[in-house]
Amino acid sequence: MKRVFLPHNLEELWRIIAGEPKADIYAGGTDLLVKLRQNLINTPSLICLERIEELKGVHEQGDEVMIGACSTHTSLLENPIIQRNFPVLTKALNVLASPLIRNMGTIGGNICTASPAADTLPPLYVLKAEVEIRSRSASRQMALKEFILGPGITCLKAGEIVSGIWVKKVPGFNLHHFEKVGQRKALAIAIVSLATLFKISGEEMVEDVRLAWGSVAPTVVTSNEIEAMLVGHRLSRQVLKKAAPIARAIVKPIDDIRASADYRRQVAENLLIRLGSVQK
Amino acid sequence: MKSLEIGRPIPRVDAYSKTTGQERYAADYYGENLVWAGVKRAGIAHALIKDIHIDDAKTLPGVISILTHKDIQGSNRQGMIRKDQPVLADNKVNHCGDAVALVLAEDKASLHKALDLITLDLEPLPGIFDPEKAIGEGAPLVHEGHPQGNVLFKGVLETGDIEIGFKECHAVVEACFELPHQEHAYLETEAGWAILKENGQLKIVVSTQSPFRDRSEVAEALGINVEKVRIIAPYCGGAFGGKDGVTVQTLLGLAVFHCPGRPIKMWWDREESFLASPKRHPARLYYRLGVKPDGALHALDVRFYYDTGPYDHLGGAVMALGLEHACGPYRISNVSLKGFCVYTNSPIGGAFRGFGVPQVTAAMEQMMDMMATQLGLSPFEIRKRNAIRCGDKNPIGISVTGSTGFEECLKTLEEHYLWKKRNEWKSKAGPFKKRGVGIASVMHGMGYGPVVPDFANAKIELTREGKFRVFSGVVDIGQGNASTYLQIAGAILNQDMAHMELVLPDTESALPSGSASASRTTSTFGNALIGAAQSLKHRVLQRAAIYFMAKEIKEVDLIPGGVNHFTTGKEIPLSEMFHILDDSEKVAAYTFTAPTAKENPTEDQNLRLHGVPHLIFSYGVHLCYVEVDELTGNIEVKRYLAVSDCGRIINPQTFEQQIHGGIAQGIGYALCEEFIVKEGRVRTPDLATYIIPTALDVPEMDSIPLESYEPTGPFGLKGAGEISIDGPLPAIANAVADACGVRLFRSPFTPERVLKALKERENREFEH
Repeated sequence: MKRVFLPHNLEELWRIIAGEPKADIYAGGTDLLVKLRQNLINTPSLICLERIEELKGVHEQGDEVMIGACSTHTSLLENPIIQRNFPVLTKALNVLASPLIRNMGTIGGNICTASPAADTLPPLYVLKAEVEIRSRSASRQMALKEFILGPGITCLKAGEIVSGIWVKKVPGFNLHHFEKVGQRKALAIAIVSLATLFKISGEEMVEDVRLAWGSVAPTVVTSNEIEAMLVGHRLSRQVLKKAAPIARAIVKPIDDIRASADYRRQVAENLLIRLGSVQK
Repeated sequence: MKSLEIGRPIPRVDAYSKTTGQERYAADYYGENLVWAGVKRAGIAHALIKDIHIDDAKTLPGVISILTHKDIQGSNRQGMIRKDQPVLADNKVNHCGDAVALVLAEDKASLHKALDLITLDLEPLPGIFDPEKAIGEGAPLVHEGHPQGNVLFKGVLETGDIEIGFKECHAVVEACFELPHQEHAYLETEAGWAILKENGQLKIVVSTQSPFRDRSEVAEALGINVEKVRIIAPYCGGAFGGKDGVTVQTLLGLAVFHCPGRPIKMWWDREESFLASPKRHPARLYYRLGVKPDGALHALDVRFYYDTGPYDHLGGAVMALGLEHACGPYRISNVSLKGFCVYTNSPIGGAFRGFGVPQVTAAMEQMMDMMATQLGLSPFEIRKRNAIRCGDKNPIGISVTGSTGFEECLKTLEEHYLWKKRNEWKSKAGPFKKRGVGIASVMHGMGYGPVVPDFANAKIELTREGKFRVFSGVVDIGQGNASTYLQIAGAILNQDMAHMELVLPDTESALPSGSASASRTTSTFGNALIGAAQSLKHRVLQRAAIYFMAKEIKEVDLIPGGVNHFTTGKEIPLSEMFHILDDSEKVAAYTFTAPTAKENPTEDQNLRLHGVPHLIFSYGVHLCYVEVDELTGNIEVKRYLAVSDCGRIINPQTFEQQIHGGIAQGIGYALCEEFIVKEGRVRTPDLATYIIPTALDVPEMDSIPLESYEPTGPFGLKGAGEISIDGPLPAIANAVADACGVRLFRSPFTPERVLKALKERENREFEH
């Protein structure tokens, strides 16, 4: 039996953390409960963040949006601010697990679990999201890209939580795209995913682009080189075909029960080629 | 309320109780002073048992008892045809899911601790995991004493002359197909609850398809009197064949003697269910098909291997049914069929919806398309030219009698808009997508075959409340047959649902009947029930006629809740009839045994025992639209049509659910379900790694029943539970070949395999 703490506000949380420094902290529990069932959690107690209202909600602040870390995927999927400003994130949330998991799981949890296959990470990378980290006495902010160090490894220190995600609006990017390849249409763990933001001119020219692949390396893969190759061109098959081998070279996938590394390399390349036929 | 009618979509009687969570499944039984039972499993595929160390676990607080094979008085063997599976392993373990020790504990936590504390002293033996290698020389033996080595059972069926036949052929196509283990993945994992009563009765409530057979299996394996065993079978939360045979029954039966009077519960978790339960047999099939210039099938040579794991379960019968269906619903005059069911150290191969037929259909229906391509015929045309009809001899030499609507199924397909508009649909594929349309013929025999009696005993009684109570002898494993029983009896007795009652199978109250399997559930029990209902109806009317002083019985008839005397318009409620009738008149029973084929395709008595031949077949043809993504290799099934000849339909809604369910499960089998075991170790231990389709992966499905009339069936019905799982894999394979010219001979057709095949094709084209 483990003790589970359910604080209702941050003040309570800090007090509990102080008393239970070894506790595991979770929000929706969609990853933690699986590990718990497999006896992979050895901590004596658990602290659940899901009832802390201060950590929920989406707040528009000028040209930035702050997403509370304990916002569930469903709440974000249904949120008009997210829908309006970050379709790339909405598209990813739409294929994340299942409605039941989306009702429980949170965006902060998805970040802190730091799975290479996390569905929200590639969109948050192309959006250049920043995480807000809080402890009892301090608050800091850092790029998501810097925050995630490897599978399941983040910069979070003892006594800290991710309290929010800051995302700048991207009005210039008029094409948001997300594609996930999984073993089925729902309840699937990504084998490869690709999030893309495009700024396409009236002449169908790429003026700016950001790309991020998921599930093909220990952390999300981005490539300035490919982005630079696409800027200033139409998304023709030749241009994409030229860039595709670079995608194959920069990913570092593994073989697992879902797919081989070879397949992941091939598909990482192919998803780039698809961009030429993505509808605006 | 209106009386029940045949052919109407009545709501299922279990719909409300199941959707509101009130229905009590075997997994829902608890009780005061409950004992938890659990099993220590081998965890290794093949080994000698040197010792089982239980002392540490035994002294753990909360542990009541730990039992091993030494505690079993009976044969310690279970199985339906060949009894080769120990309840608890004695000298050897033969697959990683073998049960070795049984723990009884006061609570779940103690149970799990005790299971962890038991250590097994095992001396590993070389394992064998490939059925073809297993029958080769020098292969390690799974059962030392088995006279045929690792061949559990071999079947041969031959007609005509295969050598001359091939010499007369104009074109020949050859291929080898490989199919994986498929896991049933029912919602309700194996569960049971048992108690040893003061009178010595062993009462077991269990999620099972075969209560009456379980009863004798438990008695024999444990060495107890069969009269002392009572099996109660609630609705199963899914079974699909996986609960046709003992799961927790014998273990619970053993346990109760070590805590008499206390209720005991065993409920496998998903991982244990995956590890220990039987699977669809992996198969390797070698096919060679020859045709005459006009496309008439002329010679077929088939050799196939089914991997049954270490135990028969129903493997021999599964293989035999595959053998019988290996040629599809066609006329072929020269046939040589050889099937091997082989022991290995893989998971147990057992019954799974389709029962050996999906594997051979996968092969034969792809052969048909490959041949059509070679001849330049359409896939439809080659099937039409060879379609089996009533009066033909089938390829194994049995006359085709009874309802045979296969040709009509083809005709219905030909006229369907999905077939007619296929080219238009195909032409509209988006960028990087290829579209294809595939068809597959299906046929499925019904019942147990010529030797094992396919029987049912129905019982029905009039209750004090004026209702008719039907005692079901065949479990409703989710397919809805219990409701159909009430519909059948209600239609005969002219009652509405409010005056019908159902008692689920219980070996104490129901009369012995065969299992819920073999697409026989509604047919065999339905026939028995018609007899029982008619008999009781006649008795009630005879007595009512006397009551009304009617001149003849024709003047009275049953109405919902009563009997009406037409001449006077008077009525008497059934609750009053109850008092008029003597106790001996309130119950009627009737037995039915399914007819069997008079002809005999083989002198091999063992093959006959395993079910060859069948007399009655359902038929059908499936069509699917698929879209293949050239960039990912993903196959999406966009549309599906099943035209089925399953005889007359009693409840169209239940029928459609059966067809839809089989298609969905068949799509899983084709596209993503692959139970992976490496050297006897499970690599897909849970639902996160073993991928079954979700609602989003199943397309819109059309089901068209042909409604031919089968004279031997209740109201003209034939079996419908399995046939729809036979078609999706070959239909999808054929559609993929149509879409992009590649054929995968190994399933499931995962995106990775498809992409690889596409790339290989591209490379080949590049070379040319």
